[in-house]
Amino acid sequence: MTHLHIPDGILPLRIWLPGLALALLVLVVSAWLTHRETRPKLAFQSSIGALMLAAMAIELPLGPLEYHLSLLGPVGVLLGPAAAFQVVFVVSAMLALVGHGGLTVVGWNALVLGAGAGIARPIARALSARFDPAVSMAAATACAQALSGALWVAVMLGGLRLVSRGRWLHDTGTPVLAALAAPLWAAGVVIETLVALGLGRFLQRVRPDLLPGRAPLPGKDLAR
Amino acid sequence: MNALSSMDLIATAGRTPWHRASALSKIALALLILLLAVFTPSLSLLGVLFGVAILLALSARVPVRLLLTAMAYPVAFALLFVLARWDGTWITPARILLRPLTCCVAVIWLMGSTPYPDVFAPLSRVLPRAVGDGLFLTYRALFDLIDRSGRLWRAIRLRGGAEGSARRRLSLAGEGLGTLVLYGFERSQRFYATMQLRGHSGRICGCRHYADVTPADLLTLAAAVGVILAAVTLWGRL
Repeated sequence: MTHLHIPDGILPLRIWLPGLALALLVLVVSAWLTHRETRPKLAFQSSIGALMLAAMAIELPLGPLEYHLSLLGPVGVLLGPAAAFQVVFVVSAMLALVGHGGLTVVGWNALVLGAGAGIARPIARALSARFDPAVSMAAATACAQALSGALWVAVMLGGLRLVSRGRWLHDTGTPVLAALAAPLWAAGVVIETLVALGLGRFLQRVRPDLLPGRAPLPGKDLAR
Repeated sequence: MNALSSMDLIATAGRTPWHRASALSKIALALLILLLAVFTPSLSLLGVLFGVAILLALSARVPVRLLLTAMAYPVAFALLFVLARWDGTWITPARILLRPLTCCVAVIWLMGSTPYPDVFAPLSRVLPRAVGDGLFLTYRALFDLIDRSGRLWRAIRLRGGAEGSARRRLSLAGEGLGTLVLYGFERSQRFYATMQLRGHSGRICGCRHYADVTPADLLTLAAAVGVILAAVTLWGRL
Protein backbone atom coordinates (compact mmCIF):
# COMPACT_ATOMS: atom_id res chain seq x y z
CA MET A 1 0.00 0.00 0.00
CA THR A 2 2.77 2.45 0.81
CA HIS A 3 5.02 1.45 -2.00
CA LEU A 4 4.51 3.48 -5.16
CA HIS A 5 4.66 0.95 -7.96
CA ILE A 6 4.06 3.69 -10.50
CA PRO A 7 6.18 2.82 -13.53
CA ASP A 8 8.36 5.19 -15.57
CA GLY A 9 6.73 7.42 -18.14
CA ILE A 10 3.36 7.72 -16.40
CA LEU A 11 3.83 10.71 -14.13
CA PRO A 12 4.62 14.01 -15.83
CA LEU A 13 8.09 15.52 -15.52
CA ARG A 14 6.83 18.30 -13.25
CA ILE A 15 5.88 15.67 -10.66
CA TRP A 16 8.70 13.11 -10.79
CA LEU A 17 11.64 15.49 -11.22
CA PRO A 18 11.02 17.57 -8.05
CA GLY A 19 10.43 14.30 -6.15
CA LEU A 20 13.75 12.90 -7.34
CA ALA A 21 15.59 16.14 -6.60
CA LEU A 22 14.09 16.44 -3.11
CA ALA A 23 14.87 12.79 -2.31
CA LEU A 24 18.51 13.26 -3.37
CA LEU A 25 18.73 16.38 -1.23
CA VAL A 26 17.31 14.55 1.80
CA LEU A 27 19.71 11.69 1.07
CA VAL A 28 22.72 14.02 1.14
CA VAL A 29 21.50 15.62 4.39
CA SER A 30 20.88 12.20 5.96
CA ALA A 31 24.38 11.06 4.89
CA TRP A 32 25.86 14.15 6.51
CA LEU A 33 23.87 13.51 9.71
CA THR A 34 25.11 9.91 9.91
CA HIS A 35 28.69 10.38 8.72
CA ARG A 36 30.06 9.92 12.23
CA GLU A 37 28.21 6.66 12.76
CA THR A 38 30.25 3.50 13.00
CA ARG A 39 30.65 0.89 10.28
CA PRO A 40 28.87 -1.85 12.31
CA LYS A 41 25.84 0.46 12.33
CA LEU A 42 25.97 0.61 8.53
CA ALA A 43 26.17 -3.18 8.34
CA PHE A 44 23.12 -3.46 10.64
CA GLN A 45 21.32 -0.80 8.62
CA SER A 46 21.91 -2.82 5.45
CA SER A 47 20.68 -6.00 7.14
CA ILE A 48 17.47 -4.20 8.06
CA GLY A 49 17.15 -2.98 4.46
CA ALA A 50 17.52 -6.56 3.24
CA LEU A 51 14.93 -7.66 5.81
CA MET A 52 12.55 -4.98 4.51
CA LEU A 53 12.95 -6.40 0.98
CA ALA A 54 12.55 -9.97 2.25
CA ALA A 55 9.42 -8.98 4.23
CA MET A 56 7.93 -7.37 1.11
CA ALA A 57 8.19 -10.79 -0.56
CA ILE A 58 6.16 -12.47 2.18
CA GLU A 59 2.47 -12.80 1.39
CA LEU A 60 0.28 -12.64 4.44
CA PRO A 61 -2.99 -14.42 3.58
CA LEU A 62 -5.94 -12.42 4.92
CA GLY A 63 -9.09 -13.98 3.57
CA PRO A 64 -9.41 -13.24 -0.13
CA LEU A 65 -6.53 -10.73 -0.05
CA GLU A 66 -2.79 -11.12 0.29
CA TYR A 67 -0.87 -8.36 1.99
CA HIS A 68 2.82 -7.57 1.47
CA LEU A 69 4.46 -6.03 4.53
CA SER A 70 6.54 -2.86 4.34
CA LEU A 71 7.93 -2.87 7.94
CA LEU A 72 8.16 0.89 7.74
CA GLY A 73 7.53 1.54 11.44
CA PRO A 74 9.95 -1.05 12.85
CA VAL A 75 12.68 0.09 10.43
CA GLY A 76 12.19 3.71 11.53
CA VAL A 77 12.12 2.79 15.22
CA LEU A 78 15.22 0.59 15.05
CA LEU A 79 17.37 2.90 12.90
CA GLY A 80 16.20 6.47 13.43
CA PRO A 81 15.10 8.99 10.77
CA ALA A 82 18.36 9.61 8.87
CA ALA A 83 19.52 5.99 8.59
CA ALA A 84 15.97 4.81 7.86
CA PHE A 85 15.75 7.23 4.92
CA GLN A 86 18.96 5.84 3.47
CA VAL A 87 17.57 2.32 3.86
CA VAL A 88 14.27 3.12 2.14
CA PHE A 89 16.13 4.86 -0.69
CA VAL A 90 18.30 1.76 -1.24
CA VAL A 91 15.22 -0.50 -1.03
CA SER A 92 13.31 1.66 -3.53
CA ALA A 93 16.27 1.69 -5.93
CA MET A 94 16.64 -2.09 -5.73
CA LEU A 95 12.92 -2.59 -6.31
CA ALA A 96 13.00 -0.25 -9.32
CA LEU A 97 15.82 -2.31 -10.79
CA VAL A 98 13.55 -5.36 -10.99
CA GLY A 99 10.66 -3.44 -12.51
CA HIS A 100 8.72 -2.83 -9.27
CA GLY A 101 8.15 0.87 -9.81
CA GLY A 102 10.09 3.08 -12.18
CA LEU A 103 13.55 4.55 -11.80
CA THR A 104 12.15 8.06 -12.20
CA VAL A 105 9.77 7.40 -9.27
CA VAL A 106 12.50 6.25 -6.88
CA GLY A 107 12.46 9.78 -5.42
CA TRP A 108 8.77 9.72 -4.56
CA ASN A 109 9.00 6.13 -3.29
CA ALA A 110 11.82 7.09 -0.95
CA LEU A 111 10.05 10.26 0.22
CA VAL A 112 6.73 8.51 0.88
CA LEU A 113 8.33 5.62 2.76
CA GLY A 114 10.97 7.85 4.36
CA ALA A 115 8.39 10.28 5.78
CA GLY A 116 6.71 7.44 7.67
CA ALA A 117 9.96 5.84 8.79
CA GLY A 118 11.27 9.30 9.79
CA ILE A 119 8.57 9.97 12.38
CA ALA A 120 8.58 6.46 13.88
CA ARG A 121 11.54 6.70 16.24
CA PRO A 122 10.72 10.12 17.77
CA ILE A 123 7.16 8.91 18.45
CA ALA A 124 8.36 5.60 19.92
CA ARG A 125 10.88 7.45 22.09
CA ALA A 126 8.24 9.89 23.35
CA LEU A 127 5.82 7.08 24.16
CA SER A 128 8.38 4.80 25.78
CA ALA A 129 8.33 6.97 28.91
CA ARG A 130 4.72 5.93 29.60
CA PHE A 131 4.22 2.65 27.74
CA ASP A 132 6.27 -0.49 27.31
CA PRO A 133 8.57 -0.56 24.26
CA ALA A 134 6.44 -3.01 22.27
CA VAL A 135 3.34 -0.81 22.57
CA SER A 136 5.43 2.26 21.75
CA MET A 137 6.78 0.54 18.63
CA ALA A 138 3.26 -0.50 17.59
CA ALA A 139 1.89 3.03 18.10
CA ALA A 140 4.82 4.56 16.22
CA THR A 141 4.23 2.07 13.40
CA ALA A 142 0.56 3.01 13.24
CA CYS A 143 1.50 6.70 12.86
CA ALA A 144 4.25 5.92 10.32
CA GLN A 145 1.98 3.72 8.23
CA ALA A 146 -0.88 6.22 8.41
CA LEU A 147 1.37 9.05 7.20
CA SER A 148 3.00 7.04 4.41
CA GLY A 149 -0.33 5.61 3.29
CA ALA A 150 -1.88 9.09 3.18
CA LEU A 151 1.08 10.45 1.21
CA TRP A 152 0.84 7.50 -1.20
CA VAL A 153 -2.81 8.26 -1.87
CA ALA A 154 -2.04 11.98 -2.21
CA VAL A 155 0.74 11.41 -4.77
CA MET A 156 -1.36 8.94 -6.75
CA LEU A 157 -4.43 11.16 -6.81
CA GLY A 158 -2.33 14.28 -7.44
CA GLY A 159 -0.76 12.60 -10.46
CA LEU A 160 -4.12 11.40 -11.74
CA ARG A 161 -5.71 14.85 -11.31
CA LEU A 162 -2.86 16.50 -13.18
CA VAL A 163 -3.11 14.23 -16.20
CA SER A 164 -6.91 14.17 -16.29
CA ARG A 165 -7.62 17.91 -16.41
CA GLY A 166 -11.02 18.59 -17.95
CA ARG A 167 -12.17 14.97 -17.70
CA TRP A 168 -14.49 13.01 -15.39
CA LEU A 169 -11.70 11.79 -13.15
CA HIS A 170 -10.48 15.31 -12.42
CA ASP A 171 -13.68 16.49 -10.76
CA THR A 172 -15.88 13.55 -9.78
CA GLY A 173 -13.48 10.62 -9.93
CA THR A 174 -10.89 11.80 -7.41
CA PRO A 175 -13.18 11.61 -4.35
CA VAL A 176 -14.44 8.22 -5.55
CA LEU A 177 -10.90 6.86 -5.83
CA ALA A 178 -10.01 8.38 -2.45
CA ALA A 179 -13.02 6.62 -0.91
CA LEU A 180 -11.91 3.34 -2.51
CA ALA A 181 -8.37 3.78 -1.21
CA ALA A 182 -9.48 4.55 2.38
CA PRO A 183 -10.24 0.93 3.44
CA LEU A 184 -6.92 -0.25 1.96
CA TRP A 185 -5.13 2.50 3.85
CA ALA A 186 -6.86 1.53 7.11
CA ALA A 187 -6.12 -2.18 6.56
CA GLY A 188 -2.44 -1.35 6.00
CA VAL A 189 -2.30 0.60 9.28
CA VAL A 190 -3.93 -2.22 11.29
CA ILE A 191 -1.83 -5.03 9.76
CA GLU A 192 1.51 -3.27 10.12
CA THR A 193 0.66 -2.22 13.70
CA LEU A 194 -0.15 -5.79 14.78
CA VAL A 195 3.00 -7.14 13.15
CA ALA A 196 5.06 -4.39 14.83
CA LEU A 197 3.47 -5.28 18.19
CA GLY A 198 4.60 -8.90 17.81
CA LEU A 199 8.06 -7.81 16.67
CA GLY A 200 8.35 -5.33 19.53
CA ARG A 201 7.29 -7.92 22.13
CA PHE A 202 9.88 -10.35 20.85
CA LEU A 203 12.69 -7.79 20.91
CA GLN A 204 11.59 -6.58 24.35
CA ARG A 205 11.99 -10.13 25.69
CA VAL A 206 15.19 -11.04 23.89
CA ARG A 207 17.17 -7.88 23.04
CA PRO A 208 15.54 -4.82 24.64
CA ASP A 209 18.72 -2.82 23.98
CA LEU A 210 17.87 -2.68 20.27
CA LEU A 211 14.76 -0.62 21.07
CA PRO A 212 15.08 3.15 21.52
CA GLY A 213 15.60 4.46 25.03
CA ARG A 214 17.08 1.19 26.33
CA ALA A 215 20.64 0.88 27.60
CA PRO A 216 22.89 -1.35 25.47
CA LEU A 217 23.75 -4.78 26.80
CA PRO A 218 27.39 -5.19 27.86
CA GLY A 219 29.56 -5.93 24.82
CA LYS A 220 26.63 -5.51 22.41
CA ASP A 221 26.72 -1.79 21.71
CA LEU A 222 26.48 -0.94 18.01
CA ALA A 223 28.44 2.28 18.55
CA ARG A 224 31.36 0.29 19.90
CA MET B 1 11.23 -10.69 -4.28
CA ASN B 2 11.70 -14.01 -6.01
CA ALA B 3 12.13 -11.74 -9.03
CA LEU B 4 15.33 -10.40 -7.43
CA SER B 5 16.70 -13.92 -6.98
CA SER B 6 15.73 -14.95 -10.51
CA MET B 7 17.29 -11.85 -12.04
CA ASP B 8 20.46 -12.34 -10.03
CA LEU B 9 20.75 -15.93 -11.27
CA ILE B 10 20.17 -15.00 -14.91
CA ALA B 11 22.62 -12.10 -14.70
CA THR B 12 25.44 -14.13 -13.18
CA ALA B 13 24.90 -17.46 -14.98
CA GLY B 14 24.02 -16.08 -18.45
CA ARG B 15 26.46 -16.60 -21.33
CA THR B 16 25.10 -14.32 -24.07
CA PRO B 17 27.12 -11.50 -25.71
CA TRP B 18 25.13 -9.03 -23.58
CA HIS B 19 26.49 -10.72 -20.46
CA ARG B 20 30.03 -10.20 -21.76
CA ALA B 21 29.55 -6.50 -22.55
CA SER B 22 30.66 -3.94 -19.94
CA ALA B 23 28.13 -2.79 -17.36
CA LEU B 24 28.81 0.87 -18.15
CA SER B 25 27.86 0.57 -21.82
CA LYS B 26 24.68 -1.36 -20.96
CA ILE B 27 23.71 1.20 -18.32
CA ALA B 28 24.20 3.96 -20.91
CA LEU B 29 22.03 2.12 -23.47
CA ALA B 30 19.29 1.37 -20.93
CA LEU B 31 19.27 5.03 -19.81
CA LEU B 32 19.11 6.19 -23.44
CA ILE B 33 16.06 4.00 -24.11
CA LEU B 34 14.46 5.04 -20.81
CA LEU B 35 14.90 8.78 -21.38
CA LEU B 36 13.73 8.60 -25.00
CA ALA B 37 10.66 6.59 -23.93
CA VAL B 38 9.82 9.08 -21.15
CA PHE B 39 10.21 12.22 -23.27
CA THR B 40 9.26 11.35 -26.84
CA PRO B 41 5.90 12.53 -28.13
CA SER B 42 6.11 10.09 -31.07
CA LEU B 43 4.08 6.88 -30.88
CA SER B 44 6.03 5.28 -33.74
CA LEU B 45 9.33 5.91 -31.93
CA LEU B 46 7.82 4.40 -28.78
CA GLY B 47 6.84 1.33 -30.81
CA VAL B 48 10.38 1.00 -32.17
CA LEU B 49 11.91 1.45 -28.70
CA PHE B 50 9.56 -1.17 -27.25
CA GLY B 51 10.52 -3.58 -30.04
CA VAL B 52 14.22 -2.94 -29.43
CA ALA B 53 13.81 -3.46 -25.67
CA ILE B 54 11.95 -6.75 -26.19
CA LEU B 55 14.61 -7.90 -28.66
CA LEU B 56 17.35 -7.02 -26.17
CA ALA B 57 15.63 -8.90 -23.34
CA LEU B 58 14.90 -12.01 -25.40
CA SER B 59 18.42 -12.12 -26.86
CA ALA B 60 19.78 -11.89 -23.30
CA ARG B 61 17.72 -15.06 -22.60
CA VAL B 62 15.53 -13.40 -19.99
CA PRO B 63 12.76 -15.97 -19.42
CA VAL B 64 9.51 -14.92 -21.09
CA ARG B 65 7.56 -15.70 -17.92
CA LEU B 66 9.74 -13.35 -15.85
CA LEU B 67 9.42 -10.69 -18.52
CA LEU B 68 5.62 -10.99 -18.60
CA THR B 69 5.42 -10.89 -14.80
CA ALA B 70 7.55 -7.75 -14.72
CA MET B 71 5.41 -6.16 -17.45
CA ALA B 72 2.20 -6.84 -15.54
CA TYR B 73 3.04 -4.16 -12.92
CA PRO B 74 3.33 -1.23 -15.35
CA VAL B 75 0.24 -2.36 -17.25
CA ALA B 76 -1.88 -2.46 -14.08
CA PHE B 77 -0.90 1.09 -13.13
CA ALA B 78 -0.94 2.43 -16.66
CA LEU B 79 -4.58 1.33 -17.07
CA LEU B 80 -5.58 3.71 -14.28
CA PHE B 81 -3.86 6.55 -16.13
CA VAL B 82 -5.41 5.42 -19.44
CA LEU B 83 -8.79 5.88 -17.77
CA ALA B 84 -7.74 9.28 -16.44
CA ARG B 85 -6.71 10.54 -19.88
CA TRP B 86 -9.31 8.77 -21.99
CA ASP B 87 -10.03 10.91 -25.08
CA GLY B 88 -11.80 8.38 -27.29
CA THR B 89 -8.75 7.69 -29.49
CA TRP B 90 -6.40 4.70 -29.42
CA ILE B 91 -3.27 6.84 -29.73
CA THR B 92 -3.26 8.25 -26.20
CA PRO B 93 -3.83 4.88 -24.47
CA ALA B 94 -1.17 3.25 -26.68
CA ARG B 95 1.29 6.00 -25.77
CA ILE B 96 0.52 5.69 -22.04
CA LEU B 97 0.93 1.90 -22.14
CA LEU B 98 4.06 1.77 -24.30
CA ARG B 99 6.06 4.29 -22.24
CA PRO B 100 6.23 2.32 -18.96
CA LEU B 101 6.42 -1.02 -20.76
CA THR B 102 9.47 0.09 -22.75
CA CYS B 103 11.22 1.43 -19.64
CA CYS B 104 10.41 -1.71 -17.66
CA VAL B 105 11.68 -4.10 -20.36
CA ALA B 106 14.88 -2.04 -20.82
CA VAL B 107 15.59 -2.22 -17.07
CA ILE B 108 14.84 -5.96 -17.02
CA TRP B 109 17.30 -6.45 -19.92
CA LEU B 110 19.97 -4.48 -18.03
CA MET B 111 19.49 -6.37 -14.77
CA GLY B 112 19.08 -9.73 -16.51
CA SER B 113 22.45 -9.35 -18.23
CA THR B 114 24.44 -7.49 -15.55
CA PRO B 115 25.15 -8.69 -11.99
CA TYR B 116 23.93 -6.25 -9.33
CA PRO B 117 27.41 -5.34 -8.01
CA ASP B 118 28.42 -4.24 -11.53
CA VAL B 119 25.40 -1.92 -11.68
CA PHE B 120 25.96 -0.64 -8.14
CA ALA B 121 29.68 0.08 -8.67
CA PRO B 122 29.21 3.20 -10.86
CA LEU B 123 26.19 4.27 -8.78
CA SER B 124 28.18 4.08 -5.55
CA ARG B 125 30.65 6.59 -6.96
CA VAL B 126 28.02 9.30 -7.26
CA LEU B 127 25.89 8.49 -4.19
CA PRO B 128 26.86 9.40 -0.60
CA ARG B 129 29.24 6.82 0.90
CA ALA B 130 26.76 5.34 3.36
CA VAL B 131 24.21 4.80 0.59
CA GLY B 132 26.75 3.43 -1.89
CA ASP B 133 28.09 0.97 0.66
CA GLY B 134 24.53 0.24 1.76
CA LEU B 135 23.68 -0.99 -1.75
CA PHE B 136 26.44 -3.62 -1.64
CA LEU B 137 25.81 -4.68 1.95
CA THR B 138 22.03 -4.89 1.45
CA TYR B 139 22.57 -6.98 -1.66
CA ARG B 140 24.92 -9.30 0.24
CA ALA B 141 22.45 -9.81 3.08
CA LEU B 142 19.37 -10.04 0.88
CA PHE B 143 19.47 -13.59 -0.47
CA ASP B 144 20.40 -15.04 2.90
CA LEU B 145 17.43 -13.26 4.53
CA ILE B 146 15.05 -14.23 1.72
CA ASP B 147 15.98 -17.89 2.25
CA ARG B 148 15.64 -17.55 6.00
CA SER B 149 12.29 -15.80 5.81
CA GLY B 150 11.03 -18.55 3.46
CA ARG B 151 12.10 -21.24 5.92
CA LEU B 152 10.66 -19.28 8.84
CA TRP B 153 7.30 -18.97 7.10
CA ARG B 154 7.19 -22.70 6.37
CA ALA B 155 8.01 -23.44 10.01
CA ILE B 156 5.30 -21.07 11.24
CA ARG B 157 2.72 -22.75 8.97
CA LEU B 158 3.78 -26.26 9.99
CA ARG B 159 3.46 -25.37 13.67
CA GLY B 160 -0.04 -23.97 13.24
CA GLY B 161 0.94 -20.32 13.10
CA ALA B 162 -1.29 -19.72 10.09
CA GLU B 163 -4.39 -20.76 12.06
CA GLY B 164 -6.54 -18.69 14.39
CA SER B 165 -7.59 -15.09 14.27
CA ALA B 166 -5.96 -12.52 12.01
CA ARG B 167 -4.69 -10.70 15.11
CA ARG B 168 -2.92 -13.82 16.37
CA ARG B 169 -1.45 -14.63 12.95
CA LEU B 170 -0.13 -11.10 12.45
CA SER B 171 1.35 -10.95 15.92
CA LEU B 172 3.07 -14.31 15.33
CA ALA B 173 4.37 -13.01 11.99
CA GLY B 174 5.85 -10.06 13.88
CA GLU B 175 7.55 -12.35 16.40
CA GLY B 176 8.95 -14.38 13.52
CA LEU B 177 10.30 -11.22 11.93
CA GLY B 178 11.84 -10.38 15.31
CA THR B 179 14.05 -13.48 14.99
CA LEU B 180 15.15 -12.21 11.57
CA VAL B 181 16.00 -8.79 13.04
CA LEU B 182 18.15 -10.50 15.63
CA TYR B 183 19.76 -12.70 13.01
CA GLY B 184 20.44 -9.62 10.87
CA PHE B 185 22.01 -7.87 13.86
CA GLU B 186 24.29 -10.78 14.75
CA ARG B 187 25.14 -11.28 11.09
CA SER B 188 26.07 -7.61 10.65
CA GLN B 189 28.45 -7.85 13.63
CA ARG B 190 30.14 -10.98 12.23
CA PHE B 191 30.26 -9.45 8.77
CA TYR B 192 31.91 -6.28 10.01
CA ALA B 193 34.50 -8.32 11.94
CA THR B 194 35.27 -10.22 8.72
CA MET B 195 35.59 -6.98 6.78
CA GLN B 196 38.09 -5.67 9.33
CA LEU B 197 40.10 -8.89 9.23
CA ARG B 198 40.31 -8.57 5.46
CA GLY B 199 41.70 -5.05 5.72
CA HIS B 200 38.56 -2.98 5.12
CA SER B 201 39.69 0.57 4.41
CA GLY B 202 36.46 2.38 5.25
CA ARG B 203 34.85 2.23 1.84
CA ILE B 204 33.47 -0.62 -0.23
CA CYS B 205 34.69 -0.05 -3.80
CA GLY B 206 32.69 -2.85 -5.42
CA CYS B 207 33.97 -4.53 -8.53
CA ARG B 208 36.41 -2.57 -10.64
CA HIS B 209 35.64 -4.22 -13.96
CA TYR B 210 32.27 -2.60 -14.61
CA ALA B 211 33.94 -0.34 -17.20
CA ASP B 212 36.17 -3.00 -18.83
CA VAL B 213 35.49 -2.74 -22.55
CA THR B 214 35.13 -6.05 -24.40
CA PRO B 215 34.41 -6.87 -28.08
CA ALA B 216 30.80 -7.48 -27.03
CA ASP B 217 30.51 -3.72 -26.38
CA LEU B 218 30.42 -3.24 -30.15
CA LEU B 219 27.00 -4.88 -30.03
CA THR B 220 25.84 -2.39 -27.38
CA LEU B 221 27.26 0.44 -29.46
CA ALA B 222 25.43 -0.81 -32.56
CA ALA B 223 22.17 -1.00 -30.63
CA ALA B 224 22.71 2.54 -29.29
CA VAL B 225 23.43 3.90 -32.79
CA GLY B 226 20.28 2.20 -34.07
CA VAL B 227 18.20 3.72 -31.27
CA ILE B 228 19.64 7.21 -31.88
CA LEU B 229 18.98 6.94 -35.63
CA ALA B 230 15.40 5.86 -34.95
CA ALA B 231 14.98 8.79 -32.54
CA VAL B 232 16.33 11.32 -35.07
CA THR B 233 14.10 9.93 -37.83
CA LEU B 234 10.87 9.45 -35.91
CA TRP B 235 10.89 12.13 -33.18
CA GLY B 236 8.60 14.62 -34.94
CA ARG B 237 6.23 12.03 -36.44
CA LEU B 238 3.08 10.49 -34.99
